[in-house]
Amino acid sequence: MKHTQRSTQQPLSRRGLLGMASAGAGAAALAACGGPSVGGDDGGGGGDEDATDYSDIEPATEIAFWSSHPGGSKDVEAELLKQFTEKTGITVNHVTAGSNYEEIAQRFQTAQAAKDDLPAVVVLSDVWWFRYYINGNIAPLDPLIEQLDIEISDYRETLVEDYQYEDKQWALPYGRSTPLFYYNKDHFAAAGLEDRAPETWQEFEEWAPKLTQGEVAYMYPDLAGYAGWTLQNVLWGQGTAWSDEWTMTCTDPTTIEAMQWVQDSVYSNGWAQVSSSDSADTFAAGVCSATIASTGSLIGVLEAASFEVGVGFLPAGPVDGPVCPTGGAGLGIPAEISPEEQLAGAMLIQFMGEAESTVAFSGATGYMPVRKSADISELLEKTPQIQTAIDQLEVARTQDYARVFLPGADQEMANSVGTILTAEGDVEDALTDLQATLEEIYSSQVEPKLS
Amino acid sequence: MSRTATPEKTAGGATPEKTVESKHPRRPRTSRRSRRDALVFLALALPNITLIALFTYRPLLTNIYYSMLDWTLGSTSAAFIGLDNYKEFFTSSAGLTSLRITIIFTLVTVGGSMLLGLLLALALNSKIPGVTIARSAAFAPYVLSGVGVGLVWLFIFDPSFGVLAYFLRMIGLSSPQWVLDPDMALIMVMVVYIWKNLGYCAIVYLGGLQSLPTDVLQAASLDGAGPVRRFWTISLPLLSPTTFFLLITTMLNSLQAFDLLRIMTPTGRGTNALIFESYLQAFGGYSRAGYSAAISVVLFVMLIVITVVQIRYVEKKVHYA
Repeated sequence: MKHTQRSTQQPLSRRGLLGMASAGAGAAALAACGGPSVGGDDGGGGGDEDATDYSDIEPATEIAFWSSHPGGSKDVEAELLKQFTEKTGITVNHVTAGSNYEEIAQRFQTAQAAKDDLPAVVVLSDVWWFRYYINGNIAPLDPLIEQLDIEISDYRETLVEDYQYEDKQWALPYGRSTPLFYYNKDHFAAAGLEDRAPETWQEFEEWAPKLTQGEVAYMYPDLAGYAGWTLQNVLWGQGTAWSDEWTMTCTDPTTIEAMQWVQDSVYSNGWAQVSSSDSADTFAAGVCSATIASTGSLIGVLEAASFEVGVGFLPAGPVDGPVCPTGGAGLGIPAEISPEEQLAGAMLIQFMGEAESTVAFSGATGYMPVRKSADISELLEKTPQIQTAIDQLEVARTQDYARVFLPGADQEMANSVGTILTAEGDVEDALTDLQATLEEIYSSQVEPKLS
Repeated sequence: MSRTATPEKTAGGATPEKTVESKHPRRPRTSRRSRRDALVFLALALPNITLIALFTYRPLLTNIYYSMLDWTLGSTSAAFIGLDNYKEFFTSSAGLTSLRITIIFTLVTVGGSMLLGLLLALALNSKIPGVTIARSAAFAPYVLSGVGVGLVWLFIFDPSFGVLAYFLRMIGLSSPQWVLDPDMALIMVMVVYIWKNLGYCAIVYLGGLQSLPTDVLQAASLDGAGPVRRFWTISLPLLSPTTFFLLITTMLNSLQAFDLLRIMTPTGRGTNALIFESYLQAFGGYSRAGYSAAISVVLFVMLIVITVVQIRYVEKKVHYA
C-alpha cells in the first residue's frame, strides 16, 4: 500500500489565492487601523485652535489624577485629594501612573496613542511638558485660569515661567525643586572648614584636599536624569550652557573647557567621583563630604543621615549671574478630554496650588512651596533648610532649551557625560558627538513642529 | 468531469486497491460529514485562532506597519518613510552597537548558563545528603522576580557599600564602577542573568541525566571506561536532545532579556540589547515609536532565523535515544 504526499497537498486554487489575498489585505488593513494618522499635519502646538469657553460648563463630578508621587508624596496627595472632594464634591481617582517622571510619561503617551483612559490632571516633569505641547497632548490653561480666577501672580514667577511658550501657560507648578548643595557638617568641621557651602567651585577645589573624612570630597549626582540638569550649574558659572535657545553650544570652547574641568576633578585631581545610585543616598551614608541633589531629597536626607546636614546655594563660577536651574514637576490637563473634565481638573490644580496645600506638600516632601503667600513658618521651624532652597529660587533661572525641550536630550547628555566622567573619554570628541545628536534631534523632531 | 471517490476501508479493514468511479456516489453523505467535521473544527479552533490573531498577529502586523513611520509617541500624526528606520538602524553606530551588545549578551549568557547548568546538574545528580534541598535552591533564582533580583544584586555590586566592594577591599582591590562603566555594566548584567537562569538549565540537564540508559553506562564501565570518558562519549552525546532544547529556549530568552537590564542599568549605557534599545527609543525619553518598532522587527526576524537554523541544521546533529 502506498501513501504519497500528493493526497494531502492541494495545488493552490484560484479561490484559495483570492482567499489568501483577502486575508492579507484584511490583515494589512487591520494593522493599519488605530495609531497615528499618516500624512496629516504635524499635530504640533497643543490643542488651542478653538479656545473653549468654560463659562457655561459644569465641572465633571468624577475625575482621575495621575501622579508619580514625587518625593514620596502619595499619602499627602491622598489627604489633599480628600480635602478637595470635601470642598468641591468632585471625586478624584488617585492613580499611581508610574514611580518616576519617565514612567508616568510613558503611560501618558501610550494613553494618547490609544486615545483612551486619559486623566483630568497629570504630573509632568520639566523635560516632558514641552513634548506634550508640540504633540498637542495638553491644553493651554489660560482660559481655565481666567474662568477660575487662579491667582497666578501669587505663584513664584520663575516656576510659572517654566511652563510658558508662545505666550500661553501649559502647566502650573507642583512638586518644584532646584538642585541644592548638601554638605556633611561633621566632615567640614573635622577639616577645619567654615560651616557653609562654598561660594564658588574654585573655593571648593581648594577645600577638597582637606575633606578626607569620607571616601571622596564631592560626589557628582548619578548620570540618569541628573547629569544634564545639575551640570548646567557648572556651565552657567563659566558663562556657557548646553544651548542658547535653539542653538546648541556644546562645542563652544568655554563649554569644552568647563567639562574638561569636571573631568579633571575626577581623574587628574581626584577629589570627585560619580555616584552610581542616588547621590543623596550616598551622601546620607557618609560616603562623600558633599554632593548636589534635588531639594526634593531634603527630607529623606535629613531623616537618613546620622550626621548634621548643611545645605547651601550651588557654587558659582567666575562669571556673574544665576547658576541654579529650576526643576521638578508641574500639573497639566490633557487636550483630548471633555471640557467638563478639563474644568474639574483645573479646579484640582487650583486647589493643589493653594497656599495651605503647597505648604502641606512641601512639609511632606521637601519640594518648595510654590506660592509666595504660603505661611511657611511652621515648615521652617521643622525643616529650616527649606529656607535656603526658597532663597535660592531668587537666583534660579529656567533651564537650557536643549535639555528640557529636545526629546531624549537628557539621555544623550547623560551618555556624553558618562563618556567624559566614567570612561575618561576625550571631552571635545564627546561634546562634538553630543552637539551633532542634539542638532539632529532638533531638526528632525522639534523644528518641523514649531509654528 | 469525473471524481475519484475517497478510498474506504472494507469490513476487514483493508483498503481496496482499486479506486471507484462515483456516479451516484455517497458524496452528499461524505460532504455532510466533512462539513460537520469542518464545523466542529471551527467551533473548537476559532476562539483560539481569533485570540491569536487579535493578540499576536495583529500587534505583529501593526508593529511592522509602525516601523515604516516617522512617529513620535504621543503624536496623533506620523509620516510614512518606508524603510528609513531600518536603514538608520543598520547604518548608525548606535544601532550597530546595540546589535553587538545583543550578540555578546546572548552568546555569553547562553553559553554560561548551559555550561554552568550542566556542571551543576552533574553535581546535583550525585547521591549526596541534602541533594533535594540543593536542587530546590539551585532552581529558586529562576522563579524569582527579575526586578527583585536586579535590585538585590545592585546592592551587592554597589562600589561604595556593596558586599562585593567590601570583599574586594579586604584583598586590597577597589571596586570597579559596575553601573557607570559601560563594559563593566555589561559584565555585571551577564553575571546576574547567568546566575538567575543557570538553575533552569541545571534542572533540565538533571532530568536528561536521570533518563540516560543505565545499561549503556554500566556496559561502558565494565569495559573499563572511566567517569570522564563515559561522560564525553556516552552521556554528553545522549544529552544532545536536552542540549538542543536548552539551546533554543535559552537563546530565545536571552534575546528577549529585559527586566534585569532595565532595573540594573536604567540608562542602557553598555547594556542596550535590542529589546532594551527598543524600549529606550520609545519610552526612555526619545519617544521614537517608529524607530522602536523597526528595532522590534529586526529582533523578531533574528529570532525567526535563529529558530529555523537551529531546527533545520543543529537538530540534525542531535542523537535521539
